[in-house]
Amino acid sequence: MGNISRRDVFKIAGVGAILGSTHLYTASVWAAKRPDRMLPPPKGNRVVIVGGGWAGVTAAKYIKKEMPSAEVVLIEKRKIFMSCPISNVWLGGLVEMDFLMHDFHTPASKYGYTFINATVLDIDRGKRRVYTDQGYIDYDYAIIAPGIGYNYDAWFDGDKDMARYCATHFPSAFIPGSEHVTLKRKVHNFEEGTFVLVVPPPPHRCPPAPYERAAMIAYVFKKNGVKGKLIILDPKEDIKPKGPGFRNAYIELYGGLVEYVPNAKIKEVDPVKKVIKTTAGEFRFDDANLNPPHRAGDLVWKVGLVNPKTGWCDVDPLTLQSKIDPRIFIAGDAASVKGFPKSGDMAHNHTQTMVVKALVALMKGKDPKEAVRSPTNTCYSMVNGDPKEAIVINVIYAIDRKKGVPVKKKVNVENKRSSRLARATFEWARALYRDMFS
Amino acid sequence: MDRRLFLKVCTAVALAPPFLFKGSVRAEESQFKPYKKALLVKEDGTPLRPEEVDPKKQYLFFYPYRSTPCLLADLGKEVKPVQVKTQNGDPYTWPGGVGPKKSIVAFSAICTHQLSYPTPDQSFINYYPSGMVAKMSKRDRVIQCCAHMSAFDPERGGEVISGPAPFPLTAIVLAYEEGKLYALGTLGKEVFEDFFDAFKPDLRKMYGSSRRAKELVDVCEVVDLESYTKEVIRC
Repeated sequence: MGNISRRDVFKIAGVGAILGSTHLYTASVWAAKRPDRMLPPPKGNRVVIVGGGWAGVTAAKYIKKEMPSAEVVLIEKRKIFMSCPISNVWLGGLVEMDFLMHDFHTPASKYGYTFINATVLDIDRGKRRVYTDQGYIDYDYAIIAPGIGYNYDAWFDGDKDMARYCATHFPSAFIPGSEHVTLKRKVHNFEEGTFVLVVPPPPHRCPPAPYERAAMIAYVFKKNGVKGKLIILDPKEDIKPKGPGFRNAYIELYGGLVEYVPNAKIKEVDPVKKVIKTTAGEFRFDDANLNPPHRAGDLVWKVGLVNPKTGWCDVDPLTLQSKIDPRIFIAGDAASVKGFPKSGDMAHNHTQTMVVKALVALMKGKDPKEAVRSPTNTCYSMVNGDPKEAIVINVIYAIDRKKGVPVKKKVNVENKRSSRLARATFEWARALYRDMFS
Repeated sequence: MDRRLFLKVCTAVALAPPFLFKGSVRAEESQFKPYKKALLVKEDGTPLRPEEVDPKKQYLFFYPYRSTPCLLADLGKEVKPVQVKTQNGDPYTWPGGVGPKKSIVAFSAICTHQLSYPTPDQSFINYYPSGMVAKMSKRDRVIQCCAHMSAFDPERGGEVISGPAPFPLTAIVLAYEEGKLYALGTLGKEVFEDFFDAFKPDLRKMYGSSRRAKELVDVCEVVDLESYTKEVIRC
């Protein structure tokens, strides 16, 4: 093992045990066996961002804009960015894949941060060191934006084979990539029978997304003359607050094709026999989009930043600093902030107005809480494909400085679907992609 | 800085009430950027007279560059100078409305959040005149962008009322001289360079080249926005 110390051996063994995966175990041994320092030691102003999703990419740009002297490193395992927001619209065939795909290199080059295409295997919080499959990088501050993970254990009680079977045959498609392509193929190939969509219990990524997805699937079924129906199994008692918009679309546009079942909490999922038992009854399906409960992405579990009772990271509600390690900020969906939906817009917005402001203030020796601004969140949902029609919710937050928390100040909902809101949906996306990637 | 323009802005600042002078004069001056003095004209090329501006409409012209759109509106009442609040920068004094009623104002129509702007196809950023209440910001006499719901106050120099915009709309400083309206320059933070960068392909298509899109103008044709764009998207 060359110059690896005894302590390192134990560390590697520990990491391997935690990972429980031969593949990852091998990778971590390999990384530790070649303890390459990928960058020189930091000088007090290095921010390492782990995760190049909506939050991570936004953080990298805005730290450099607000504090050009900061050294910003963005580490992302994927070679290309694929957007989860608007992916339902793509599922409906209303935009090309091109619309969702973006490159990491243009913004890194333009704003002057370092982009490293690598997989993070572990973080030594004591040493402030991020281990990747290519070596390690030390940080002064870190922003971890791992997004979500799927909690198949809630359904299969640790049966990994069943979880793998379910994920392979009925992928959730809430984490961009191959799963989305599989789901699109399923939806467009479906000819007859029952297609079930399971809504995950809250909190989950993008609260209106399952209902928008249902509308887009129904649109495709209607267009293709599918003989059958789409059953939406929702653990909640109702869709809120965009309920009227979605329900009207299901009834008025896709009457007979969509069956919405509230109070359908999952009791048992059998992806082999294609049966789901819920508190609202038993449902058999021919094909499905099975969405298990969501939780924070795997990395933050591995490095001990998750509250196991909630499955998400406890953070300061203004700065989004981890309550376990204040050198680490949790941005995007993995953070648990009361009243914040886990949406792309919210991730982009709270990263810019809260995480970046607080972190920059901290690096400048100022009060991070004072620097935080109030965020907003806007979520469009496409409910019709021909003509394209959408609904929207917009939430404006205020900062309660006394209590040190963000509070909802105004909630505006437009449940009347319209073409102008569909056009605004595309403008919403184009503008945010432009902000992050051009 | 052109001496005449400098004096003009100083005059506007001097006319403002004393309570407005919290920031340093130097900081306020530094916010004004003079460009070519441009006469505002109608489609037939004759000067636009203030009484021809309908308070129930929103108008479009391009300034200071041939490709950078601006909204012009008659707010229907005198609009006084105010000190404009910003999130990070120094506050600055906006000179208010111009014209015989001091009711005409103009702002760059490029949203300071993510640069949405009126195109021949659609306009997401619009002025909601008196009596036309925007659903999202729940008020009239507001400039609102429907891409991400930023709302700006045209009576207060384009200040952010709500939404994610980080700073006010760039104000276009107007002058009213001998019955004619002129654009003189800008006040507040600009986003023109970001705009040119973000929309390079669109601007090349529309104007032939980036260089041409960046040409400064000395005459601005003012048109009804509804006639310029196929669809005004309100929300």
